[in-house]
Amino acid sequence: MTTNSGALAPARPSVAWVGRARRRSILLAGSGVLVLVVVACVGVAMGSVAIAPLDTLAIVTHRLFGLDLGRTWSASAETIVWDLRVPRVLTSLVVGTALAVAGATFQGLLRNPLADPYVLGTASGAALGAAIAVLLPIRMVVLGFGLLQGLAFVGALASIYTVYRLSRIGGLSPLTSLLLTGYAVGSLLAAGLATAMYLSGAALRQIFSYLMGGFDAASWPQLAGTLPLVAAGCALILVRARSLNGLLLGEETAAHLGIDVGRERAVLLALASLITAAAVAVSGLIGFVGLVVPHVVRLIVGPNARLVLPLSALGGAVLLAVADLIARSAGDIPVGIVTALIGAPFFIVLLRRARSGYEL
Amino acid sequence: MIELAGVTVSYRDRAVLSGIDLAIRAGERVALIGPNGAGKSTLLRVITGLVVPDEGAVNLGGDPLASLDRASIARRIAVVPQQVIVPFATRVEELVELGRLPHEDPLRGARPADRAAVASAIERVGIGHLLGRDVRELSLGERQMTLVALAVAQAAPVMILDEPTVHLDLRHQVSTMELLVDLNLRDGTTVVAVLHDLSLAAQFFPRLVLLDRGRIVADGEPLEVLSAEHIRDAFGVDPSMVRLPVGAT
Amino acid sequence: MNASPLRRFLGGFHVFPSRHLPRSAPPGLRLTTLSIALLTVLAACTNGSGSLASSAVTPTVAASSTTATSAPSPSPSPSSAPAFPATLTDDEGTAVSISSEPRTIVSLTPATTETLFALGLGDRIKGKGQDVFLYPPQAKTIPDVATFDSVDVEKIVALTPDVVFAGGNFFTPPDSIARLRDLGLKVVVLYAPSVDAVYKDIQLIGQVTGRLAQANAMVDRIGAEFDKVRAAVAGLPTPRVFYELDATGAIYGPADKSFLAEMIQLAGGTPITTGATDKYDISVERLIEQDPEVILLADGPFGVTAAQVVARPGWKVMTAVKDGDIRPIDDQTVTRPGPRLYLGLALLAKTIHPEATIPSAQPIPPVP
Repeated sequence: MTTNSGALAPARPSVAWVGRARRRSILLAGSGVLVLVVVACVGVAMGSVAIAPLDTLAIVTHRLFGLDLGRTWSASAETIVWDLRVPRVLTSLVVGTALAVAGATFQGLLRNPLADPYVLGTASGAALGAAIAVLLPIRMVVLGFGLLQGLAFVGALASIYTVYRLSRIGGLSPLTSLLLTGYAVGSLLAAGLATAMYLSGAALRQIFSYLMGGFDAASWPQLAGTLPLVAAGCALILVRARSLNGLLLGEETAAHLGIDVGRERAVLLALASLITAAAVAVSGLIGFVGLVVPHVVRLIVGPNARLVLPLSALGGAVLLAVADLIARSAGDIPVGIVTALIGAPFFIVLLRRARSGYEL
Repeated sequence: MIELAGVTVSYRDRAVLSGIDLAIRAGERVALIGPNGAGKSTLLRVITGLVVPDEGAVNLGGDPLASLDRASIARRIAVVPQQVIVPFATRVEELVELGRLPHEDPLRGARPADRAAVASAIERVGIGHLLGRDVRELSLGERQMTLVALAVAQAAPVMILDEPTVHLDLRHQVSTMELLVDLNLRDGTTVVAVLHDLSLAAQFFPRLVLLDRGRIVADGEPLEVLSAEHIRDAFGVDPSMVRLPVGAT
Repeated sequence: MNASPLRRFLGGFHVFPSRHLPRSAPPGLRLTTLSIALLTVLAACTNGSGSLASSAVTPTVAASSTTATSAPSPSPSPSSAPAFPATLTDDEGTAVSISSEPRTIVSLTPATTETLFALGLGDRIKGKGQDVFLYPPQAKTIPDVATFDSVDVEKIVALTPDVVFAGGNFFTPPDSIARLRDLGLKVVVLYAPSVDAVYKDIQLIGQVTGRLAQANAMVDRIGAEFDKVRAAVAGLPTPRVFYELDATGAIYGPADKSFLAEMIQLAGGTPITTGATDKYDISVERLIEQDPEVILLADGPFGVTAAQVVARPGWKVMTAVKDGDIRPIDDQTVTRPGPRLYLGLALLAKTIHPEATIPSAQPIPPVP
């Protein structure tokens, strides 16, 4: 038997798509940076106290570059702009980046579109750490971080580590095992959290307000502690975009494509957990950023991690800065509520667009 | 090119492969056949290094497989899997582009040469009409062809296929086989395919290796391997064979 | 996170079903009020040392270079020594140094606002914490710089206050207190888990604001009114009193050795408490076992009636229910740890002993 091979379609369109993806990503990056700058400026200019925008500009240029724009302002205005608002806006950018990159990484690692930075019990671990910190009668402050943030960070990392170690026991495939163990450990930690909250008495409100997430406590020392972690973590993940791409079709195929699956999985897991823990320590549990941003980016530029990771970083920063702005203008509601209000409808739209059946 | 000597693989006290001696030279076209559970897939995994045998040695291009890292293996062997799950919307050309991973610059990603390889692989496999489509929306057969294109793009001297015709209709089965023959004869690619369709195997592959219960029962030309006795022993059915004048070259 | 004890606890802490609201009351009223009440109870209950007369406040006055000052006596003559610069220790043990008499004050607790007005300093308060039950009425015109949940740090910074008074034991979020201090503001944290501590806080406020003499005089007068009430109930029987804060979920009442318990004792009652210093809810069984002779409904103003109490399963066996001694009481007056506390004591005494003659308390005029 033979077939008659008909005329084949020319292969030009594939190169065209790649070019299109690149153009789209450049467009997305450009507009993202633009929106970022605008949002950051508005964020610094806005607050519960009215400060003339020119004064704000003058204060910032004075503190950043030592320039004098010929305006005078009060000391309290300078404190408000430079010690309160600027660190707050910058922190929201850093946390947004961390959450989005972590979300994209976990989605790629676990090959699960529903994964977010908290999927492996991070949220519960951080929350439990925070609750324990509130119960302990110890007060310490390092770099602007209190015991609460320190234990939240430790709790987040400890829970992922526990999940990782536990998941290696048993005969299930590593990914399934990770997901199931993450769920189990997360539930256990949540029970511990409920207990801690029950015992916490008057401190309950503090635990709650931490859990709901926010940037009220943002400060320069905290930023100095968080930014290097997040920057280094994200950079190291970005360099590994190739591994994430390889994992797209599964661990076996990834191995066939030359990826050292065991090592890459451990490294990516560790890095994503680190930046998640840093974000959670600084700002509590803010949801939907890590879940929705990577999906939106993929919708525009495709699943190539080389494009998805950096664009998610940008998208996460923009989203969280915008959300914080909205949260502040709407009467200081928790940021987590705003991200949920923005993210949930997006998520529903994404679900409806998703075709049924992922099997190849 | 590929050499297995005395390979034994056990799983929970059950021998999946016993005493496998197999040598495949560069440029050969070999079909692995046998009943379900014979160990064909495990044999493939041993060749690609995913399974380390409990006994015996495996060499790839003269080098012991154990000494090669995954990247080196990926440059020597391209694998067409039977099934993959794609979690995100992925276009056909994006999927095929994954075949270039072993060659890609880790930092800079796909270069024009890589994209050209992708384009030519798509054309070679004949799925140019599927460009731009979401892989998850394709028919099973179309998806399988895309995976073949991925392996072609990988441009490795050896191509291993695990049941590549399972979901294909007759026309595509044949065109896939013709493609394998073409790759083998024109590019010199060593092709090793696990096939369940004995007629296809006989027609398109000059060498068949029959596996049964973990052992190589027969290894040679189709007429020799597909004797009534072999088939009865391995598959438990009485065959009736019709020899056609057109055979594999 | 499903935990019914948690929900009960939360129910008492924050959220009350709105069906208890009288139709005319604004929706958040009950929520805020009882939360404040409960917080006060919790504040009183979580005092670590647990003794009624404890207080960590020992104000010290740092002398200026020219004159030496002796340790403060209860009523030093008004102009004997310069009051500033002064270094004081607040109720959390933090040393706060005030360089000169504060002209701009921010008050984050309603009791402090009251005390400041009583000391004649109302016009110096430039920012206050939001509260439903403000006293005196003039306080309403002061801009809010904090809600029940959060502190607006920006607004406070913009006011450039010379001193900020905050509430201890989590009344003001500790993070906000730390933030304000980081930004260089003077924050004095007040927390009064006992009557004695209320006196000391009034004195502390007096010291911080340079009105110590007036504060001491106020404390003396409050103490005198207290003595009057105590004298009036001295010979009377002391019934077992249960002060009900809320019973929509768990039953919330005074903890052992708490502020409320102390007040009830001073008012001539035997307080029924939860059984532990850090427990704020009491089980029905324990309440039945303790058998109150009088039930005071702090949730009465929110629509809880005696008839409802009688209808509760198991409650009819209590003496108070059998005798019909279930009375509503205005919780705000009783528990606000400020200059009107004596009114609270008088009200408490009158409600526990309706047949007794309690001298009606003279309102203490504010300092001019």
